[in-house]
Amino acid sequence: MDGMEDQVLVRRVASGDERALSALYDRYAGLIFGSGVRYLGDRGLAEDLVQDVFTSVWRNAAGFDPARASFSTWVYRITRNQATDLIRRRKARIRTVGGDLLFEPGGDDPSGELSRSFDVASALSRLSPVHREVIILAYFEGLSQSEISRRTGTPLGTVKSRTTAALRALREDLDEDRGSDDE
Amino acid sequence: MSEHPGTRNLLGPYVMGALGAQEERIVEEHLDGCAGCREEAQDLRLVHERLTDLAYATETPPPGLKDRVVAGMPHGMPYREPRRRVPPWAAVAAALCVLALLGVVFASGVSGLFAPETATTLRPTELAPGAGGELRIESSSANTQAELEAWDLPPLGEGEYYELWFGKDNGRVSAGTFTVNDEGRVTCYMTVPAETVGDYQRVGITRERFPAEPRMDDVKVVLSGELRRL
Repeated sequence: MDGMEDQVLVRRVASGDERALSALYDRYAGLIFGSGVRYLGDRGLAEDLVQDVFTSVWRNAAGFDPARASFSTWVYRITRNQATDLIRRRKARIRTVGGDLLFEPGGDDPSGELSRSFDVASALSRLSPVHREVIILAYFEGLSQSEISRRTGTPLGTVKSRTTAALRALREDLDEDRGSDDE
Repeated sequence: MSEHPGTRNLLGPYVMGALGAQEERIVEEHLDGCAGCREEAQDLRLVHERLTDLAYATETPPPGLKDRVVAGMPHGMPYREPRRRVPPWAAVAAALCVLALLGVVFASGVSGLFAPETATTLRPTELAPGAGGELRIESSSANTQAELEAWDLPPLGEGEYYELWFGKDNGRVSAGTFTVNDEGRVTCYMTVPAETVGDYQRVGITRERFPAEPRMDDVKVVLSGELRRL
């Protein structure tokens, strides 16, 4: 399941494949949960958000059409809609920073930041394993290039060139995604 | 584009601020004189910012949540008809696909065997947990084309094969046999002579063993589905 494209996993989810759902959870649950913590201001609600989003994915997988939108866009919209429902149902307060509203319930993600993050999460899943590894270790575990070299047993020069290659691959993938989804 | 691959390969850690002082100085001196690398550094910096945003937005869910989420999925939900095209069959590992039309007999009549476009998603039974498949059928005046894709089917022993059946209340008919590759996958295209029949509502795949007579017994069904019109 590790190297499978999102849309292939969704087709398997439509067949009732829980392992496929589990693979999608591994890719997106951290972002959904983190978004919930930020925008709903409550970790319990953030857990509910994760549950609600994946239940919606499970129930509606058969209706997902990759020709209309990428999976990352689809799951972003589900996340936004489920968060809106949670807010309305639980009357949660929306976190603000400096007086600016971070997320308008029911409205679009004003800066596009959350939507872009889903796209990046999707692009990350399509990287080769060695490229994904250096990115995950650097950005999500906060390791330096030397620490990555030691952790993986890879020469430092190779870590640096792989990091550059990984960023290039992401750039190309995200450039292809741009404008391909009907928002 | 720069002709300095050594420095170009440092652009990633450079935009991340992950180079030591000496290497950073070397890269910056190079960028001063190389427009191509400057442009690439700018592009990579945008990717770096997106990754930083993603990392900031991501938080590890509590342990146990994954198990609760997966275990909490509703089963036995009414199947919702998909409003989508069947995705193009991706290139798959070499598949063994032996097709044999076994005594397919059609009664004469005025309507076709299937509606012009009919499809089903195949769901696994206890004999093949985790397996799945999709079947799409297109009828024309001349013949009927069936396109089957299945995955994660159990490996077959010697003399074993899978068989595709169409069923209705008062009968069933075989549409062909096939085997799977080492990964349990198959993609098959079958042409069935289209004469006429009544309506077939169900489809199933059974696991058979030569020389026993193949039958669509419920105890042998590994995948099944309800045919629906697109």
